[in-house]
This record gives sequence, C-alpha cells and structure tokens, in this order.
Amino acid sequence: MNHIIELQRVWKRYDTGGEVVEALKDVDFHADPGEFVAVMGPSGSGKSTMLNVLGLLDTPTEGTVSLDGQDVTDLSDREMTVHRKRFIGFIFQSFHLIPTLSALENVEMPTLFGDDPTARDRATHLLERVGLGERLDHRPDQLSGGQKQRVAIARALINEPRILLADEPTGNLDRKTGRSVLDLFDEIRREDDVAVIAVTHDPQLGDYADRTVELIDGRIQ
Amino acid sequence: MSVLDDLFRRVPALLMARRNLSRNRIRSGLAVLGIIIGVLAIASLGMFGTTLRTGATQQLGDIGNEISVSPNFQEGIEELTERDVDEIRRAVTDGAVVPVRSESKLVSRGDRQTVTTVYGMENPGALYEAEQGRVPDRLRQGALVGSGTAGLLDVEPGNTISVDGRTYRVAAVLAEQQGISLVSPNNAVIVPIEDVNGTGYSQVVVSADSGQAANESAVAIREALNEREERVSVFELQSITAGINEFFGILNAFLIGIGSISLVVAGVSILNVMLMSTIERRQEIGVLRAVGVQRGDVIRMILAEAGLLGVAGGVIGAILAVGAGVALNAFVLNDPLATFQAANLLYIVLAVGFGVGTSVLSGLYPAWKAANERPVEALRK
Repeated sequence: MNHIIELQRVWKRYDTGGEVVEALKDVDFHADPGEFVAVMGPSGSGKSTMLNVLGLLDTPTEGTVSLDGQDVTDLSDREMTVHRKRFIGFIFQSFHLIPTLSALENVEMPTLFGDDPTARDRATHLLERVGLGERLDHRPDQLSGGQKQRVAIARALINEPRILLADEPTGNLDRKTGRSVLDLFDEIRREDDVAVIAVTHDPQLGDYADRTVELIDGRIQ
Repeated sequence: MSVLDDLFRRVPALLMARRNLSRNRIRSGLAVLGIIIGVLAIASLGMFGTTLRTGATQQLGDIGNEISVSPNFQEGIEELTERDVDEIRRAVTDGAVVPVRSESKLVSRGDRQTVTTVYGMENPGALYEAEQGRVPDRLRQGALVGSGTAGLLDVEPGNTISVDGRTYRVAAVLAEQQGISLVSPNNAVIVPIEDVNGTGYSQVVVSADSGQAANESAVAIREALNEREERVSVFELQSITAGINEFFGILNAFLIGIGSISLVVAGVSILNVMLMSTIERRQEIGVLRAVGVQRGDVIRMILAEAGLLGVAGGVIGAILAVGAGVALNAFVLNDPLATFQAANLLYIVLAVGFGVGTSVLSGLYPAWKAANERPVEALRK
C-alpha cells in the first residue's frame, strides 16, 4: 500500500454534558503522495474533527489511523508530537503566525526547539520560493493576508513533511489571493510529492483538487 | 551575530520568552517592578540590620575585649595590692594589664580650673590613643588630658597644667572615646601612678586582643585570686556584647522576614501576569504544539519568561539596594564603603536568589497549564 495516510472505520464521539455527539461516523479515507484532496461540507459536518484526527491532534474513539503504513492510533502525546513534526505541515484559516517573530523566525519556529543548523537556510530558501525573499525580517502585522498565508505555508514546509493539512486555507483571503495560494499548493504537490488535504467550503478549491470528498453529518458521501 | 543572538540560537526558549515579554511592555514592567520592590526590601532591610549592628558595635567600642578587676568591697577589701596585680599579670596570657589609681582633684591652667577625675596609670598606652601628641609606653612624667577636659581648659600638648598644685607638662591630648569604656578618659587627666596617693589600686583593667581572650583572662583571674576568698569582682562585658549580637541577628531575620512578604506578593503578581498572558496566547501555544513543539519545550519557554522577569527584577533590585545601602551607611555610619562587606553581599545574593526563585515558582502553574492544554482545544476558534 502506498497511502501516506489512511483512516479506517473511524468514529469520533464527544460527550457534551450527557448528550453524545457523533462527529465522525465510520469514516474511511486515504491520501497518496502528490495527491490534492479537497474535503468539502457544510459547517458542523465534522470536517475539522477529521482534519484533527488526520493531523494527530486528536485521537479517534474507534477505528485506526495509519501514517506511512504505521498504526499511529494510540501513540503517547510525545510520540504524536514527534510524528506531527516529521510528517505533517499545518495551514490554518487565520494563519496563526506568532506576532512577535519575524517572517523568517516564524518559518523557523517548528525547528527552534532542537538542534537544526540548516534550518535558517531552509527557511530563507522557502520564503524566497513563496515569493517573500524581500520580507524576511517583516513582522506579521507588516504583511498582507496573502503574504501571511505564504509565510504559514513556508512554515508548514520547513520540516519537509509528507502531508500538508489545510483548514480553510483561502477562507480569509480574497478570490485572487486565494487562487495564488492554491497555485502554490499545486506546485508543492507536484514538485515535493506532498499529499495536500484541504478542508473547505470554497468551491474554487474543487478546481485544483485531484479528488473531492464530501462530508455531511460526519459521514463521507 | 552578537553574543545575545548566539545565546538565543542556543536557547530558543529564551528568544521566545524575550519576545513574548516585549509584547506587553507595561505589564512585564509592572511584574518586574514587583520583584524589584521585593528584592530591594529584602536586601536593603538586611543591609539596614548590618548597619545597625555595625553602629552598635562601634558604640560599644572594644569593650568586649576589656575586663575590669576591682576589689570586692563586700568582703571588706578596699583596694588591690601589688601582689594581686602580679597574680593578675600571671593569669593573663594574652593582653595588657593596666593597674589604675583614681582620685578627684582640682586641675587648672591659667585662670581656668575644674575638678576632675585623675587616674594614675603606669602604662596608659595599652588603653588609649593620642589625638595630639604622643602617649608614651610608660608614663613617668607629664600628663595625658582627656578630650573633654582639654576642651574645657583649652590645652594642647606642650602646655602645662597644674593638678592640685603640682605642675605637669601635657604629653598628649587623648582621642575622644566614642563607645562605652570601663575607664573613660574623656573627662579625666592621667598622670604617672606614683603621683596619685595610696599604695594599692582602685581597679585593674585588662585589655585583651579579642573578646574570647578577655573571657579566658576573666576565668583565669577568678581562679587565681578568688580561690580562698572572694577578693575581687571581675566585670566583663563580653556576655553583653554577645547578647547584643544575638539580638541583632534576630532583628535581621525579622526584617528580612518582612521583606520576604513583599516578594511573595510580587510572586503572586507574576503568577497573575503569566496566567493572563498564557491564556491570551492559548492559540499560539496550540500552534506551537501542532507544529511539533513538545510539552517540555512549552514549559521551558514559559518558565524562561518568568525567570527573565525575575532576573531583570533581581538585578535592578540589587543595584538599587546597593545604592540604598551606600546612602544609609553614608548617613548613619559616615562610611559609605561599609556597604561592601561579606554580610551585605550575602543579603544581596539571597534577595536576588529569592526573587528569581519566586518568579520561576510562580511560572510553574501557568507553564504546566499551557503545556497540558490539548492543541485541538487551544486551536478551536
């Protein structure tokens, strides 16, 4: 099998004060290296929960999660953190850059805690690649929305992940800027052989995806 | 790359901490101020105690090193004999023995005159120092005048004074003795011992090199002279000075205790600041965790923040405390350099240590809380 990530019969239940909410119901999902998968669905359909399970931020109530052929369902917090760092890059709707750090430092941030002598060079190179070579020392508040998201993408790529998880990556951007970000995703997917999984309700994103998965009420349609 | 950049590269928690603290300068500044006050309170109260102790010790002078042997009037002994003095000399191994005779006499110079105590001493050099002139080792002729009497009669070395009609050349005016003294020279005149009437001595002063030597001498003198009958009473002040020292020790501990309370308050304010700032940065910490930063690193980062607040407050507080100490010692002891002594250094180190310790301790709970938040919860909008 060459799926880089796979969910098998995954259930996620939340106990919200006596009432059990089923956010994911028997979800089977996979993505392959170099594939761009869009997960679409209305809000409350369980998209974010699915992304959290894929990103090893949350564990399923039932079912298994496999990463690069390895069962990662029941790892400790420490191991999950190590796997996140090694395999997964995150991109958020509201960018989540650290306001006190420069663009370059934000990109370096995932490597800060740990001995990584080439991190600064890689970060510089990545920022040049996303077209921000001139803005290395700018703080996030000196950057536009599209530029912030490019910094966030560079940050997600710093550890050469196998999977890029994007939560509404174009949600806070205008159409044109969103398109340029999606072009960047397409390029990364092709050149770096990275699986891109984007959760969205932006129909524009569907044009870029190799495959679109629809999630309604916690079930894949 | 500066040294600081290099340090930040090596210890990324410090870089993050430094940046986070600069985010809300006023808040960080107020937290530091709390620590400054706490450190200043502990260090300067400690130094205040040292100053009090030094001042009191100066007032007491060398009295702890001196003992006075006088005849035991209750046993009918009115003066000490030559034999007693010999026995005292034998008993004292380490210190000068000064037999004293005293009388009240009329002292005059020109038309000024006063009735004052006249001490007869063979070797006053063991007890007194001159302010003007010279105190001879053996006083065979001439007189030494205490500073008070000298002022009253307006004399200086080389003048002549008359004591009960006998003329003396003044050899020295003695330095004013600040502290309490067994035989205070300030309002007295000292003449050769043969010139004071009598065969015995009214008291014998023993001046030892240390309080302990004085104490040993006192014990030896009691053993030697009071074996068969209680011939002499030995007066030593060493027990009093020891008691005073102990009192100042307790006073110091009390003062530092009060100072510590302010540091505890500062600790609570740091706890509050750190808790607020970690709650505000919940999402950021969530992102850190999501991109692969371990719990331990988050804890280190927040402890580094608290530690930086503590170090900043401690250093500034220590500098201010030294300033306060210099001012206090300049004012109370007229000796600003008295600030720089081992005991004070200890108080400063103690205060800074307490300050940093309190800060880091106060950072523990916020750090633990931030690190243990699940990233999913933290990232939820």
